[in-house]
Amino acid sequence: MISVRGMIHHLIDIPRLDVSGQRVALIGPNGAGKTTFLEVLAGMDRLREGSVSILEKHPGDVKVGWVGEFPDRTMLFSRVCDEVASSLRFTKVEMKEADRMVLETMAMLGRPDLLTRYTSSLSGGEKALVAFAAAIVNSPDILILDEVDSHLDEATVRMIADTIHRSGIPTLFCTQDMDRAATADNVIFMKGGKVEAVGPPAEVFAPLRDGCFYPSLWRLSQ
Amino acid sequence: MRADLDFIVEREEFSLRCEASYAEGIHLVSGIIGSGKSTMALVMASLLKCEGSYSAKGVQRTILSMQFPEYHITSSSVDDEVRSWGLDPADVLPHAGMEGRGELDPFKLSRGQLKRLNLACVFALDPDILLLDEPFSSLDCMVKTRICKAIESRRNKITMVFSHERSVLPRVDSISHIAEGRLVCHGATPDAVSEWSSPPPYLRKALENGARPRNITLQDSMEALCTIRD
Repeated sequence: MISVRGMIHHLIDIPRLDVSGQRVALIGPNGAGKTTFLEVLAGMDRLREGSVSILEKHPGDVKVGWVGEFPDRTMLFSRVCDEVASSLRFTKVEMKEADRMVLETMAMLGRPDLLTRYTSSLSGGEKALVAFAAAIVNSPDILILDEVDSHLDEATVRMIADTIHRSGIPTLFCTQDMDRAATADNVIFMKGGKVEAVGPPAEVFAPLRDGCFYPSLWRLSQ
Repeated sequence: MRADLDFIVEREEFSLRCEASYAEGIHLVSGIIGSGKSTMALVMASLLKCEGSYSAKGVQRTILSMQFPEYHITSSSVDDEVRSWGLDPADVLPHAGMEGRGELDPFKLSRGQLKRLNLACVFALDPDILLLDEPFSSLDCMVKTRICKAIESRRNKITMVFSHERSVLPRVDSISHIAEGRLVCHGATPDAVSEWSSPPPYLRKALENGARPRNITLQDSMEALCTIRD
Protein backbone atom coordinates (compact mmCIF):
# COMPACT_ATOMS: atom_id res chain seq x y z
CA MET A 1 0.00 0.00 0.00
CA ILE A 2 2.72 2.48 1.03
CA SER A 3 6.32 2.82 -0.01
CA VAL A 4 8.67 5.51 1.31
CA ARG A 5 12.31 6.26 0.39
CA GLY A 6 14.48 8.86 2.10
CA MET A 7 11.60 10.98 3.37
CA ILE A 8 12.63 14.12 5.26
CA HIS A 9 9.72 16.49 5.79
CA HIS A 10 9.24 18.88 8.72
CA LEU A 11 9.98 16.65 11.74
CA ILE A 12 9.49 13.41 9.81
CA ASP A 13 12.51 11.29 8.98
CA ILE A 14 11.70 7.93 7.35
CA PRO A 15 14.65 6.42 5.42
CA ARG A 16 12.69 3.41 4.17
CA LEU A 17 9.21 1.96 4.66
CA ASP A 18 7.19 -0.66 2.81
CA VAL A 19 3.73 -1.61 4.06
CA SER A 20 1.18 -3.83 2.40
CA GLY A 21 -2.39 -4.78 3.30
CA GLN A 22 -6.00 -3.84 2.72
CA ARG A 23 -6.27 -2.06 6.08
CA VAL A 24 -3.27 -0.30 7.57
CA ALA A 25 -3.36 1.45 10.96
CA LEU A 26 -1.10 4.35 11.97
CA ILE A 27 -0.58 4.82 15.70
CA GLY A 28 1.62 6.88 17.99
CA PRO A 29 1.58 9.64 20.61
CA ASN A 30 0.34 13.20 19.93
CA GLY A 31 2.98 15.13 18.01
CA ALA A 32 4.55 12.03 16.41
CA GLY A 33 3.97 13.44 12.91
CA LYS A 34 1.08 11.13 12.00
CA THR A 35 -1.12 13.84 10.45
CA THR A 36 1.83 15.35 8.52
CA PHE A 37 2.68 11.89 7.16
CA LEU A 38 -0.94 11.23 6.14
CA GLU A 39 -1.15 14.61 4.38
CA VAL A 40 1.88 13.76 2.23
CA LEU A 41 0.48 10.30 1.42
CA ALA A 42 -2.86 11.89 0.49
CA GLY A 43 -1.12 14.25 -1.92
CA MET A 44 -2.17 17.31 0.10
CA ASP A 45 1.37 18.44 0.88
CA ARG A 46 4.45 18.34 -1.34
CA LEU A 47 7.29 16.25 -0.02
CA ARG A 48 10.45 18.26 0.73
CA GLU A 49 12.97 15.43 0.32
CA GLY A 50 12.69 11.80 -0.74
CA SER A 51 9.83 9.95 -2.40
CA VAL A 52 6.57 8.28 -1.42
CA SER A 53 4.15 6.13 -3.33
CA ILE A 54 0.71 4.90 -2.43
CA LEU A 55 -1.01 2.01 -4.22
CA GLU A 56 2.23 1.99 -6.28
CA LYS A 57 1.48 5.45 -7.68
CA HIS A 58 2.48 9.03 -6.99
CA PRO A 59 0.02 10.45 -4.38
CA GLY A 60 -1.17 13.05 -6.90
CA ASP A 61 -2.34 10.30 -9.27
CA VAL A 62 -4.48 8.49 -6.70
CA LYS A 63 -8.14 9.27 -6.01
CA VAL A 64 -8.06 9.72 -2.25
CA GLY A 65 -11.07 9.83 0.08
CA TRP A 66 -9.78 11.99 2.94
CA VAL A 67 -11.28 12.72 6.34
CA GLY A 68 -9.20 15.05 8.50
CA GLU A 69 -9.02 15.56 12.24
CA PHE A 70 -11.05 18.80 12.04
CA PRO A 71 -14.31 17.71 10.33
CA ASP A 72 -15.80 20.96 11.55
CA ARG A 73 -13.33 23.10 9.62
CA THR A 74 -13.51 21.26 6.32
CA MET A 75 -17.27 21.58 5.68
CA LEU A 76 -17.74 23.52 2.42
CA PHE A 77 -21.51 23.68 2.05
CA SER A 78 -24.40 24.67 4.25
CA ARG A 79 -26.64 21.69 3.45
CA VAL A 80 -25.63 18.11 4.25
CA CYS A 81 -26.86 16.82 0.87
CA ASP A 82 -24.57 19.31 -0.95
CA GLU A 83 -21.64 18.50 1.32
CA VAL A 84 -21.91 14.75 0.67
CA ALA A 85 -22.38 15.37 -3.08
CA SER A 86 -19.42 17.76 -3.36
CA SER A 87 -16.85 15.39 -4.88
CA LEU A 88 -19.45 14.10 -7.37
CA ARG A 89 -20.38 17.62 -8.47
CA PHE A 90 -16.75 18.72 -8.75
CA THR A 91 -16.15 15.81 -11.13
CA LYS A 92 -19.36 16.63 -13.05
CA VAL A 93 -21.29 13.47 -12.32
CA GLU A 94 -24.80 13.84 -13.69
CA MET A 95 -27.16 15.40 -11.10
CA LYS A 96 -29.66 12.53 -10.90
CA GLU A 97 -26.88 9.99 -10.61
CA ALA A 98 -25.16 12.12 -7.96
CA ASP A 99 -28.39 12.35 -5.92
CA ARG A 100 -28.84 8.59 -6.15
CA MET A 101 -25.25 7.94 -4.97
CA VAL A 102 -25.62 10.41 -2.09
CA LEU A 103 -28.83 8.81 -0.89
CA GLU A 104 -27.37 5.31 -1.25
CA THR A 105 -24.28 6.27 0.78
CA MET A 106 -26.26 7.86 3.61
CA ALA A 107 -28.65 4.90 3.66
CA MET A 108 -25.68 2.55 3.90
CA LEU A 109 -24.49 4.58 6.90
CA GLY A 110 -27.94 4.32 8.44
CA ARG A 111 -28.48 8.09 8.53
CA PRO A 112 -30.47 9.22 5.43
CA ASP A 113 -32.29 11.58 7.84
CA LEU A 114 -29.19 13.80 8.00
CA LEU A 115 -29.53 14.76 4.30
CA THR A 116 -32.21 17.39 4.97
CA ARG A 117 -30.20 19.02 7.76
CA TYR A 118 -27.94 22.06 7.66
CA THR A 119 -24.28 21.30 8.39
CA SER A 120 -24.29 24.01 11.06
CA SER A 121 -26.96 22.10 12.99
CA LEU A 122 -24.94 18.87 13.15
CA SER A 123 -23.31 17.61 16.32
CA GLY A 124 -19.52 17.11 16.30
CA GLY A 125 -19.86 13.37 15.71
CA GLU A 126 -22.46 13.84 12.97
CA LYS A 127 -20.05 16.20 11.19
CA ALA A 128 -17.40 13.46 11.24
CA LEU A 129 -19.94 11.00 9.82
CA VAL A 130 -20.94 13.42 7.04
CA ALA A 131 -17.26 14.06 6.23
CA PHE A 132 -16.80 10.29 5.94
CA ALA A 133 -19.84 9.99 3.64
CA ALA A 134 -18.40 12.76 1.42
CA ALA A 135 -15.09 10.88 1.27
CA ILE A 136 -16.55 7.50 0.27
CA VAL A 137 -19.42 8.60 -2.01
CA ASN A 138 -17.27 8.86 -5.17
CA SER A 139 -15.67 5.39 -4.74
CA PRO A 140 -12.09 6.55 -4.05
CA ASP A 141 -9.06 4.32 -4.74
CA ILE A 142 -8.12 4.57 -1.08
CA LEU A 143 -9.57 6.04 2.13
CA ILE A 144 -7.22 8.00 4.38
CA LEU A 145 -8.83 8.69 7.77
CA ASP A 146 -7.15 10.84 10.41
CA GLU A 147 -8.54 9.90 13.84
CA VAL A 148 -12.11 10.07 12.63
CA ASP A 149 -13.11 7.58 15.32
CA SER A 150 -12.15 10.00 18.09
CA HIS A 151 -15.39 11.89 17.35
CA LEU A 152 -17.61 8.83 17.13
CA ASP A 153 -19.39 6.37 19.40
CA GLU A 154 -18.79 2.64 19.31
CA ALA A 155 -21.89 1.78 17.24
CA THR A 156 -21.11 4.40 14.57
CA VAL A 157 -17.46 3.31 14.39
CA ARG A 158 -18.61 -0.26 13.78
CA MET A 159 -21.03 0.85 11.07
CA ILE A 160 -18.28 2.79 9.30
CA ALA A 161 -15.97 -0.22 9.52
CA ASP A 162 -18.69 -2.45 8.01
CA THR A 163 -19.34 0.06 5.22
CA ILE A 164 -15.63 0.17 4.35
CA HIS A 165 -15.39 -3.61 4.46
CA ARG A 166 -18.33 -4.04 2.07
CA SER A 167 -16.96 -1.38 -0.30
CA GLY A 168 -13.63 -3.22 -0.58
CA ILE A 169 -11.74 0.12 -0.60
CA PRO A 170 -8.21 -0.07 0.89
CA THR A 171 -7.96 2.04 4.05
CA LEU A 172 -5.13 3.80 5.84
CA PHE A 173 -6.36 5.04 9.21
CA CYS A 174 -4.79 6.82 12.11
CA THR A 175 -6.35 6.03 15.49
CA GLN A 176 -5.87 6.35 19.24
CA ASP A 177 -8.04 3.25 19.75
CA MET A 178 -5.59 0.35 19.98
CA ASP A 179 -8.39 -2.25 19.87
CA ARG A 180 -9.28 -0.95 16.43
CA ALA A 181 -5.65 -0.70 15.31
CA ALA A 182 -5.30 -4.37 16.30
CA THR A 183 -7.86 -5.34 13.63
CA ALA A 184 -5.68 -3.95 10.78
CA ASP A 185 -3.52 -6.11 8.50
CA ASN A 186 -0.45 -4.06 9.38
CA VAL A 187 0.31 -1.38 11.96
CA ILE A 188 2.79 1.51 11.73
CA PHE A 189 3.95 2.89 15.09
CA MET A 190 5.37 6.42 14.80
CA LYS A 191 7.14 8.44 17.47
CA GLY A 192 9.03 11.75 17.19
CA GLY A 193 8.77 11.73 13.38
CA LYS A 194 10.27 8.27 13.03
CA VAL A 195 8.76 4.86 12.34
CA GLU A 196 9.48 2.88 15.51
CA ALA A 197 7.86 -0.35 14.34
CA VAL A 198 5.89 -1.73 11.43
CA GLY A 199 4.27 -5.12 10.81
CA PRO A 200 1.30 -7.28 11.78
CA PRO A 201 -0.48 -6.15 15.00
CA ALA A 202 0.89 -9.05 17.08
CA GLU A 203 4.48 -8.07 16.22
CA VAL A 204 4.09 -4.33 16.66
CA PHE A 205 2.15 -4.51 19.93
CA ALA A 206 4.27 -7.21 21.64
CA PRO A 207 7.03 -4.81 22.80
CA LEU A 208 4.39 -2.18 23.76
CA ARG A 209 2.80 -4.39 26.36
CA ASP A 210 4.03 -2.43 29.38
CA GLY A 211 2.69 0.91 28.15
CA CYS A 212 -0.78 2.13 27.26
CA PHE A 213 -0.29 1.65 23.50
CA TYR A 214 -1.62 -1.87 23.79
CA PRO A 215 -5.11 -3.16 22.85
CA SER A 216 -7.28 -3.30 25.98
CA LEU A 217 -9.12 -6.38 24.73
CA TRP A 218 -5.79 -8.23 24.43
CA ARG A 219 -4.83 -7.20 27.95
CA LEU A 220 -8.15 -8.53 29.19
CA SER A 221 -7.57 -11.96 27.65
CA GLN A 222 -4.24 -12.44 29.38
CA MET B 1 -23.24 21.39 46.00
CA ARG B 2 -25.93 20.10 43.76
CA ALA B 3 -27.02 20.41 40.12
CA ASP B 4 -30.73 19.79 39.52
CA LEU B 5 -31.98 19.22 35.98
CA ASP B 6 -35.60 19.14 34.95
CA PHE B 7 -35.88 20.49 31.43
CA ILE B 8 -36.67 19.87 27.77
CA VAL B 9 -34.80 21.22 24.76
CA GLU B 10 -36.63 21.01 21.43
CA ARG B 11 -35.60 22.13 17.96
CA GLU B 12 -36.76 20.79 14.60
CA GLU B 13 -36.68 16.99 14.90
CA PHE B 14 -34.43 16.98 17.94
CA SER B 15 -35.60 16.81 21.51
CA LEU B 16 -33.87 16.15 24.81
CA ARG B 17 -35.54 15.54 28.15
CA CYS B 18 -33.36 15.64 31.25
CA GLU B 19 -34.53 14.87 34.75
CA ALA B 20 -31.62 14.27 37.07
CA SER B 21 -29.70 15.44 40.07
CA TYR B 22 -25.93 15.42 40.44
CA ALA B 23 -24.01 15.95 43.68
CA GLU B 24 -20.22 16.23 44.20
CA GLY B 25 -18.40 13.54 42.27
CA ILE B 26 -17.60 12.36 38.77
CA HIS B 27 -20.56 11.68 36.51
CA LEU B 28 -20.26 10.05 33.10
CA VAL B 29 -22.84 10.81 30.41
CA SER B 30 -22.73 8.61 27.30
CA GLY B 31 -24.83 8.52 24.15
CA ILE B 32 -24.43 8.07 20.40
CA ILE B 33 -23.53 10.99 18.11
CA GLY B 34 -26.26 13.61 17.92
CA SER B 35 -28.07 12.21 20.97
CA GLY B 36 -27.77 15.45 22.94
CA LYS B 37 -24.61 15.19 25.07
CA SER B 38 -23.32 18.61 23.98
CA THR B 39 -26.83 20.09 24.27
CA MET B 40 -27.08 18.94 27.89
CA ALA B 41 -23.62 20.42 28.57
CA LEU B 42 -24.66 23.75 27.01
CA VAL B 43 -27.78 23.95 29.21
CA MET B 44 -25.70 23.22 32.33
CA ALA B 45 -23.30 25.98 31.23
CA SER B 46 -26.30 28.36 30.88
CA LEU B 47 -25.42 28.84 27.22
CA LEU B 48 -28.64 27.38 25.85
CA LYS B 49 -32.23 28.18 26.74
CA CYS B 50 -34.46 25.33 27.81
CA GLU B 51 -38.02 24.79 28.89
CA GLY B 52 -38.16 23.85 32.54
CA SER B 53 -35.43 24.44 35.04
CA TYR B 54 -31.77 23.99 35.67
CA SER B 55 -30.37 25.03 39.03
CA ALA B 56 -26.95 24.72 40.60
CA LYS B 57 -27.05 25.06 44.39
CA GLY B 58 -23.96 26.17 46.28
CA VAL B 59 -22.12 26.65 43.00
CA GLN B 60 -20.16 29.81 42.29
CA ARG B 61 -18.44 28.90 39.09
CA THR B 62 -19.27 26.58 36.19
CA ILE B 63 -16.87 26.02 33.30
CA LEU B 64 -17.49 24.21 30.02
CA SER B 65 -14.69 22.66 27.98
CA MET B 66 -16.13 22.32 24.48
CA GLN B 67 -15.70 19.33 22.18
CA PHE B 68 -13.82 21.36 19.58
CA PRO B 69 -11.02 23.17 21.43
CA GLU B 70 -10.55 25.67 18.57
CA TYR B 71 -13.89 27.24 19.60
CA HIS B 72 -12.21 28.44 22.80
CA ILE B 73 -9.44 30.42 21.07
CA THR B 74 -9.62 34.17 21.71
CA SER B 75 -5.96 35.21 21.44
CA SER B 76 -3.16 35.15 18.89
CA SER B 77 -0.53 33.47 21.08
CA VAL B 78 -0.55 30.50 23.41
CA ASP B 79 0.62 32.72 26.31
CA ASP B 80 -2.22 35.22 25.78
CA GLU B 81 -4.67 32.36 25.43
CA VAL B 82 -3.71 31.14 28.93
CA ARG B 83 -3.87 34.73 30.28
CA SER B 84 -7.37 35.09 28.81
CA TRP B 85 -8.47 32.50 31.39
CA GLY B 86 -6.91 34.69 34.12
CA LEU B 87 -4.01 32.26 34.52
CA ASP B 88 -0.23 32.53 34.44
CA PRO B 89 1.35 30.70 31.45
CA ALA B 90 4.33 29.68 33.61
CA ASP B 91 1.98 27.68 35.86
CA VAL B 92 -0.21 26.18 33.16
CA LEU B 93 1.99 25.36 30.15
CA PRO B 94 4.00 22.58 31.88
CA HIS B 95 0.68 20.78 32.54
CA ALA B 96 -0.15 21.01 28.84
CA GLY B 97 3.31 19.70 27.86
CA MET B 98 3.90 23.03 26.13
CA GLU B 99 6.76 24.74 28.00
CA GLY B 100 8.60 27.22 25.81
CA ARG B 101 5.84 27.28 23.22
CA GLY B 102 4.05 30.37 24.56
CA GLU B 103 4.81 32.41 21.44
CA LEU B 104 3.03 30.01 19.07
CA ASP B 105 -0.20 30.87 17.27
CA PRO B 106 -2.94 28.66 18.78
CA PHE B 107 -4.32 27.98 15.30
CA LYS B 108 -0.95 26.44 14.33
CA LEU B 109 -1.30 23.78 17.05
CA SER B 110 -2.56 20.28 16.37
CA ARG B 111 -5.98 19.43 17.75
CA GLY B 112 -4.35 17.23 20.42
CA GLN B 113 -2.14 20.14 21.56
CA LEU B 114 -5.11 22.53 21.62
CA LYS B 115 -7.13 20.06 23.66
CA ARG B 116 -4.28 19.68 26.16
CA LEU B 117 -3.94 23.46 26.44
CA ASN B 118 -7.66 23.94 27.03
CA LEU B 119 -7.87 21.13 29.60
CA ALA B 120 -4.81 22.43 31.48
CA CYS B 121 -6.56 25.83 31.77
CA VAL B 122 -9.95 24.54 32.93
CA PHE B 123 -8.42 22.17 35.51
CA ALA B 124 -6.21 25.00 36.84
CA LEU B 125 -9.33 27.13 37.45
CA ASP B 126 -10.81 24.31 39.56
CA PRO B 127 -14.46 25.36 39.08
CA ASP B 128 -17.30 24.01 41.26
CA ILE B 129 -18.91 22.46 38.18
CA LEU B 130 -16.66 21.35 35.35
CA LEU B 131 -18.41 20.23 32.15
CA LEU B 132 -16.08 18.21 29.93
CA ASP B 133 -17.50 17.63 26.43
CA GLU B 134 -15.50 14.80 24.82
CA PRO B 135 -12.34 15.55 26.85
CA PHE B 136 -10.48 12.52 25.46
CA SER B 137 -10.94 13.06 21.72
CA SER B 138 -7.67 13.57 19.81
CA LEU B 139 -5.52 12.69 22.84
CA ASP B 140 -3.08 9.79 23.01
CA CYS B 141 -3.41 7.22 25.77
CA MET B 142 -0.66 8.75 27.94
CA VAL B 143 -2.39 12.13 27.99
CA LYS B 144 -5.79 10.47 28.48
CA THR B 145 -4.39 8.72 31.57
CA ARG B 146 -3.17 12.07 32.95
CA ILE B 147 -6.57 13.68 32.29
CA CYS B 148 -8.27 10.79 34.11
CA LYS B 149 -6.07 11.48 37.16
CA ALA B 150 -6.98 15.19 37.02
CA ILE B 151 -10.68 14.29 36.82
CA GLU B 152 -10.41 11.81 39.69
CA SER B 153 -8.74 14.44 41.89
CA ARG B 154 -11.94 16.53 41.76
CA ARG B 155 -13.96 14.27 44.08
CA ASN B 156 -15.27 17.20 46.17
CA LYS B 157 -16.51 19.17 43.14
CA ILE B 158 -19.02 18.29 40.42
CA THR B 159 -17.44 16.95 37.23
CA MET B 160 -19.58 15.93 34.26
CA VAL B 161 -17.80 13.84 31.61
CA PHE B 162 -19.70 13.70 28.30
CA SER B 163 -17.90 11.05 26.30
CA HIS B 164 -17.93 7.97 24.13
CA GLU B 165 -14.31 7.13 24.90
CA ARG B 166 -13.59 3.43 24.37
CA SER B 167 -10.26 2.71 26.03
CA VAL B 168 -9.16 5.10 28.78
CA LEU B 169 -11.85 6.17 31.26
CA PRO B 170 -11.71 7.62 34.80
CA ARG B 171 -13.30 5.96 37.84
CA VAL B 172 -16.75 7.53 38.08
CA ASP B 173 -19.43 7.89 40.75
CA SER B 174 -22.44 7.64 38.48
CA ILE B 175 -23.36 6.73 34.91
CA SER B 176 -26.09 8.28 32.75
CA HIS B 177 -26.94 7.57 29.13
CA ILE B 178 -28.88 9.60 26.56
CA ALA B 179 -31.02 7.62 24.13
CA GLU B 180 -34.08 8.49 22.08
CA GLY B 181 -34.25 12.02 23.39
CA ARG B 182 -34.10 11.12 27.04
CA LEU B 183 -31.45 11.12 29.74
CA VAL B 184 -31.51 7.83 31.64
CA CYS B 185 -29.66 7.68 34.94
CA HIS B 186 -28.21 4.25 35.60
CA GLY B 187 -27.41 5.35 39.17
CA ALA B 188 -24.27 5.11 41.26
CA THR B 189 -21.33 2.78 40.72
CA PRO B 190 -20.72 -0.12 41.27
CA ASP B 191 -24.37 -1.10 40.60
CA ALA B 192 -24.61 1.16 37.56
CA VAL B 193 -21.69 -0.62 35.81
CA SER B 194 -23.73 -3.65 34.76
CA GLU B 195 -26.79 -1.47 34.00
CA TRP B 196 -24.89 0.71 31.50
CA SER B 197 -26.30 0.28 28.00
CA SER B 198 -23.17 1.33 26.08
CA PRO B 199 -20.06 0.06 27.85
CA PRO B 200 -16.67 0.20 26.08
CA PRO B 201 -15.60 -3.07 24.36
CA TYR B 202 -13.39 -4.30 27.23
CA LEU B 203 -16.11 -3.74 29.82
CA ARG B 204 -18.70 -5.42 27.60
CA LYS B 205 -16.38 -8.42 27.29
CA ALA B 206 -15.79 -8.57 31.06
CA LEU B 207 -19.54 -8.40 31.74
CA GLU B 208 -20.24 -11.08 29.11
CA ASN B 209 -17.75 -13.32 30.90
CA GLY B 210 -19.72 -12.95 34.12
CA ALA B 211 -17.34 -10.52 35.83
CA ARG B 212 -18.72 -7.74 38.03
CA PRO B 213 -16.25 -4.84 37.75
CA ARG B 214 -16.46 -2.27 40.57
CA ASN B 215 -16.00 0.58 38.14
CA ILE B 216 -15.51 1.30 34.45
CA THR B 217 -11.73 1.43 33.98
CA LEU B 218 -9.78 -1.30 32.20
CA GLN B 219 -8.06 -2.01 35.52
CA ASP B 220 -11.45 -2.70 37.16
CA SER B 221 -12.43 -5.10 34.38
CA MET B 222 -9.09 -6.94 34.62
CA GLU B 223 -9.35 -7.27 38.40
CA ALA B 224 -12.95 -8.50 38.21
CA LEU B 225 -11.97 -11.12 35.62
CA CYS B 226 -9.07 -12.28 37.80
CA THR B 227 -11.50 -12.81 40.69
CA ILE B 228 -13.66 -15.21 38.69
CA ARG B 229 -10.67 -17.01 37.17
CA ASP B 230 -9.15 -17.71 40.60
